[in-house]
Amino acid sequence: MKTKTVELVASPRAPHFVGDGFRVHNFIPSGFRMDMQRMDPFILLDYNSTYNFPPSDKPKGVGVHPHKGFETVTIAYKGKVAHHDSSGGGGVIGEGDVQWMTAANGVLHKEHHEEEWSKTGGDFQMVQLWVNLPAKDKKSNPKYQAIKYEDIHRYQLENNAGTIEIIAGEYKGTKGVASTFTPIHMFNAKLNKGGKADFEFPAHYNTTVLVIEGQVIINNQDVAPTDHMALMANDGETFKIEATEDAIVLILSGEPINEPIAAHGPFVMNTQQELIEAFNDFNNGKFGYLED
Amino acid sequence: MIYNQKSFNLTTFLTSNLNINESDIASIIENCTVKNFKKEEFLLTKGDYCKDTFFVEKGLLRQYSIDEKGKEHILYFGPENWFISDRESAYFNQPSTYYIQALEDSQVVLIDENFIQRLSDKIPSFTDFNNRLLHNHIRNLQNRINMLLSALAEDRYLQFVKMYPDILLRVPQTMVASYLGITPESLSRVRRELARKNFKR
Repeated sequence: MKTKTVELVASPRAPHFVGDGFRVHNFIPSGFRMDMQRMDPFILLDYNSTYNFPPSDKPKGVGVHPHKGFETVTIAYKGKVAHHDSSGGGGVIGEGDVQWMTAANGVLHKEHHEEEWSKTGGDFQMVQLWVNLPAKDKKSNPKYQAIKYEDIHRYQLENNAGTIEIIAGEYKGTKGVASTFTPIHMFNAKLNKGGKADFEFPAHYNTTVLVIEGQVIINNQDVAPTDHMALMANDGETFKIEATEDAIVLILSGEPINEPIAAHGPFVMNTQQELIEAFNDFNNGKFGYLED
Repeated sequence: MIYNQKSFNLTTFLTSNLNINESDIASIIENCTVKNFKKEEFLLTKGDYCKDTFFVEKGLLRQYSIDEKGKEHILYFGPENWFISDRESAYFNQPSTYYIQALEDSQVVLIDENFIQRLSDKIPSFTDFNNRLLHNHIRNLQNRINMLLSALAEDRYLQFVKMYPDILLRVPQTMVASYLGITPESLSRVRRELARKNFKR
């Protein structure tokens, strides 16, 4: 078994607003060596680092917009988000919760700070990830997996090192509750100061480590501070993380889908023709209607 | 090869429409100014003299006027590969009545009379091509006037999304309504009605 080394540690890029409710640093696909092909099946990662939103009577967020061809995964660390979609679905993503939405053949939705939360405001911290779907699954019907914090499976590390929360995939025999279309591992590693954890994924899986809180050292060598993302090379299977202070890190590893990607805005398809169809369908109301 | 990476789209546009190779065009494009504009920055404001035609390499522009009541009226959107200019100001040397503004961070090639002259000297067929572009522009304007005078809101909307397939996802609905000459409420109604007809699940 070879060591999976750190290819680079990326600092957060200048933030931008998505709507008026999400202040995000984009890592995938605009980060250096983090384009959609390199990070496949992860095609977008926006990280809202801790940001204090003042109280607002009108919930801030993103108005009605479509998605097609992939899945969105929202991981809430601080704050609360309410969402609604064109098929009448909706819900609230609270602290620690994960929402896994399969947009597949198309949804129209909107997401805002939850109304009551918005009135008091406060620290807000979230990750939104887009996971690509294989061509055959892009045509499937949309669905949600609302994963509550208390339902997430946990693995207790030895020596009081901390806990691995398994959202998807598997860690040392403990499986995540989320179902995925292609093999994906997604964990929140909550490590106490000095706590260590080791990970093993196939070499060709594209893998990253995003430091949500604290600071970690990877493979006794590379320091990854808060809000930084370590991109792991495809040169081995195993790596170690040690927390130099209490830390939370999001670990993502997925098998590349290796299909052509044609992406524009909120649509991610395989060919240019499919993209044009997606725009036509959206413009002609085939995604349904949702009031702003 | 000397190759201006900054005007890649303009180069492609010209080489795919004219009988000219990339290196010949590079020497002409080299002399063009390529400028970056931040979102909301103005390329032209009312009262200015418009000196250039703007070719959009990246980003999105809009050309609009503001009426006496302060209401905005959008004449055109200019996404990638579009030309935008106030022709009245540029060709008849009059102060402009329009604003041209970046709606996204944009990269724009400034095309002046000089550029047109150089291209015409180098490529005789350019004059014909330029004429065709101009006539196409007039055709679109004619259609737009006719639609505004006679067509239902839904038909205007359908014409709009055919012309600008991705603009609906790039600008607020109020701007689309402004372009269509309808209220945002009417635009919502049109889109709701289309969804009622076409949404199947």
